[in-house]
Amino acid sequence: MDPAEVEFLAEKENISIVPNFALEQIYMIGGDLGPFNPGLPTSVPLWMACSLKQRQKCRIVAPEWMDVEKLSDKKQEEVDSKFFTPMPSRHYLEVSQLLLQCATDDIPRADEVKTLIKDIWDVRMAKLRSSIDIFVKSDATHAKLNHLTLMEINTVRPFLTSALNLLHDLRSNLTAGGFASQD
Amino acid sequence: MAEVDMFHEEGGDEEDVVMTAAEVLEKLEEAWLNEKFSPELLEGRMDLVDCMLDQLAAMENNLRMARKGDLKISLHRMEVDRIRFIVSSYLRLRLEKVEKYTSHVLEKEEQKKDNEEPLMSDAERQFARKFLECKKNHFGALALKHMPPNMQSAEKELAGVAPKLNSYVFLRVNENTANVLIEEDTVDTGEEIIDLEKGDQHILRYKPIASLVNSGAVSLI
Repeated sequence: MDPAEVEFLAEKENISIVPNFALEQIYMIGGDLGPFNPGLPTSVPLWMACSLKQRQKCRIVAPEWMDVEKLSDKKQEEVDSKFFTPMPSRHYLEVSQLLLQCATDDIPRADEVKTLIKDIWDVRMAKLRSSIDIFVKSDATHAKLNHLTLMEINTVRPFLTSALNLLHDLRSNLTAGGFASQD
Repeated sequence: MAEVDMFHEEGGDEEDVVMTAAEVLEKLEEAWLNEKFSPELLEGRMDLVDCMLDQLAAMENNLRMARKGDLKISLHRMEVDRIRFIVSSYLRLRLEKVEKYTSHVLEKEEQKKDNEEPLMSDAERQFARKFLECKKNHFGALALKHMPPNMQSAEKELAGVAPKLNSYVFLRVNENTANVLIEEDTVDTGEEIIDLEKGDQHILRYKPIASLVNSGAVSLI
């Protein structure tokens, strides 16, 4: 899958904004939104929040987890744990990337947030690479990947699936004692 | 006879679950992702596609009549574009598979019983037949007719490729499913059975869980 498509999926996540315009409730296909009143926070999908922000129609309220203290704790937890820890958002990387791009001024200590997110991503990717190494070497036929986010899965997808497909072919060659039939 | 038919229709209606547009959209997104990652052609969810296209057409109609330059309009337009992307990507993915596995999908469709959900929509089926025919004619005109008569059949080549059902896929579990056999009993390895718990994510071969994808118990990611 194209990373842009993962981002597309992430843009569905809801986020809180404080609009500076007034608009009655709008009936979208994906559900009703609003009403919008100046100064009153309301929840909209991320794609809409970014678009409104770009037109200077609103202020974005940073998600609760996008906070330097919380993220440092999360990073420490991730470093200490042998396994993947649950992330505060299923699309933490994409959401923070989008928000840092279009609403830097709405995120307190944006630079530090950016670095922390990057650190967490790096820690998790290193962990992912070493678990893949163990997984492939262990000859296992399946694996559980709880708490991995879609972007992380997507990064290793091309390599991991094709490697496992090949391994499977080789294994069935062994057991079938000859030409592996492909159904 | 007419009475029986009517009765049957009524029964069918009761099974139809009323869904809001938002729920249809969610289902369609799921079908889109499943289709994206499954190695084979899945049952087409044309009901969802048609429903969403109706919604889009209605919305676009409203938008045409609305005042230009309204903030609301641009938001609606953005949503329409997003949904249109999903619908067209879904249909394109399916056509891609139909082109790749033409003979295979047609064969599979024929094996389906009348009471089962069809694999393809009427338009897709027509496309598949036409595509196969064109390919056959093209092969014939280009090369086969210049071959010695005993080598003019190309059935085997036209049968083309079958989807690799043993490919690995990533999936998320939607409903608890116990005792899923994921590895057949063979000489060297014993059989492997796992329980799928709601919310878990796995990487597995597609074949053992194919039926679970169709039933919606798991989603491919």
